[in-house]
Amino acid sequence: MLTVLIYGAVTSAILAMLAVGFTLIFGVARILNLAHGAFYALGAYCTYSLTATYKVPLIVAALASVALVALFGMAMERVLVRPQRQSSLAVLMITLMVALTVEQVLFVVFGSQSKNVPAFINFPVYLHGVSLDGQRLLALAVAVCLIGALWLFIQRTRLGSAILAISQDPEAAQYMGIPANRIFSLVMGLSAALAGAAGVIAGPFLSVRPTMDQTAMITAFSVVIVGGLGSIPGSILAALIIGYSETFVAFYLNPEWTGTVSLVAILLTLVLRPAGLMGRAVGA
Amino acid sequence: MGGAVLVGLLAAAPPLLHNQYFTGVFIVCAIEAIWAASWNFFSGLTGRENFGTALFIGGGAYTAAFFNSTFGLNAWWSIPGGIVVAVVLGLVVGFPTLRLKGPYFALATLASAAIMQQVAINLWQYTGGSEGIYGLDRLVDSSLGYYYFVLAVLLATVLVLSLIAHSRWGTILRAIKGDETACQAAGINVTVYKIASLALSAAFAGLGGVLFAHYQQAVTPDDFDVFLSISVIIMAYVGGIGSIWGAAVGGILLNLMLELLRGMGEYRLLVYYLILMVVLFFMRSGVVVPLWRRLSGGRSA
Repeated sequence: MLTVLIYGAVTSAILAMLAVGFTLIFGVARILNLAHGAFYALGAYCTYSLTATYKVPLIVAALASVALVALFGMAMERVLVRPQRQSSLAVLMITLMVALTVEQVLFVVFGSQSKNVPAFINFPVYLHGVSLDGQRLLALAVAVCLIGALWLFIQRTRLGSAILAISQDPEAAQYMGIPANRIFSLVMGLSAALAGAAGVIAGPFLSVRPTMDQTAMITAFSVVIVGGLGSIPGSILAALIIGYSETFVAFYLNPEWTGTVSLVAILLTLVLRPAGLMGRAVGA
Repeated sequence: MGGAVLVGLLAAAPPLLHNQYFTGVFIVCAIEAIWAASWNFFSGLTGRENFGTALFIGGGAYTAAFFNSTFGLNAWWSIPGGIVVAVVLGLVVGFPTLRLKGPYFALATLASAAIMQQVAINLWQYTGGSEGIYGLDRLVDSSLGYYYFVLAVLLATVLVLSLIAHSRWGTILRAIKGDETACQAAGINVTVYKIASLALSAAFAGLGGVLFAHYQQAVTPDDFDVFLSISVIIMAYVGGIGSIWGAAVGGILLNLMLELLRGMGEYRLLVYYLILMVVLFFMRSGVVVPLWRRLSGGRSA
């Protein structure tokens, strides 16, 4: 039981890391970024490549990966997305193309077999006589810290207030002298860094393959929609619901049906509460 | 005029190339063109991007497999069967989800298609699991004959959907895309139009699915994943959102381009997506329809 509770929390935490970034860039810049899963995959592959090929120490490799993914995200926003911002469909298509291209680059460079990303903690941790995977516990702790730090940054700093202002009323915020484009760039960097960090920290206990971005993308999208697009607390709540329901089904029923259960949950939420659990009523 | 030349080229290419393999390529081109045209009829006109067209395609294809392979019915029963099943799926998905907009509708349709795919894998006793169902009959014995049959279906699809798109019905769908509340205020029963259009779009997608199943003579869940839905959207987008014939031409062109890149080996898809990324970046309103407008000197097709 303790195992299920903790592993459920780990799954939820990784989902939350992905979903918070996705919802943030949508809430602030109205960018529905289908390349978000690609950031996650890039984070895991960067760490793999830096440690396995270039023999960089793990902690340096992890930090460098997160920074590289953040730069990649900012470059994508600046070069490909910004000129298309007037049309939401154009943004959707161009980020989709980025996702598919990244997947193919990873496939050509690393092949289709799964890679092993080194773990920070290789030993089990004992808690009340139950053995738990150390890396998963670390992932949980890192996720909680990063999301907490992001929350404090948005709520407590001047820059955070600027982000909130833009998300509430972009025009009024620009009249107040807030540079919208620089804020978008910053938020895209944060969002990409969070997704990349999720890939780095969850890589050791996931199968790292070129197609890993697809599942990540779809689950993050689902979590965000269930929570309400643009709402960070909503995403966290939804991540907990979906993370725990998947873990419970996998442990107590049948692992084959995990995906289906969460998909049905998503459909039900959309039908019963079209704007998500904590979203503003824009969905219907 | 341009249309006639195009149809002539499509009809003449496989016998001239005289190669079983290329005939197969053209069959797949024509089937995917049917999917792209059916997608653009609903999503292009109403502005609701359907990310789960694989549900209708797969519904049609699996119906064909059950009818023909499992129950041993005559292959031609697949066509009405597949269409009916796809329409029912369209109604089942449409009723609860059509009030959703934008990303919400996209995710609802994506989830429905993903659920169907997983159910097909998990209920392996009936569906053959990830192996799928084999041993479907051919609808037409010769490849070339089947190609002409599929091409005829494609022409009929484009004709029927274009006629509807240019009728009052199509005007109302475009009005719904523009301002749904205003349409309701004008006394139009928006729900009926949306549901009927989704069902019609599903019918043609399902028909394409049946044709695909009988061409491959097998169905597997992998054929109907999220990726299929996304490729259909890309075809319609390259064609030009809202244009039925544009989507069909987009489908054919993209499939031919992918075929031409076959020499690139493992770099094939990478090159393909890079080309698409550059093209979509510079031609935001699609490629086929805007290019045709420019070539024909501003006259509409």
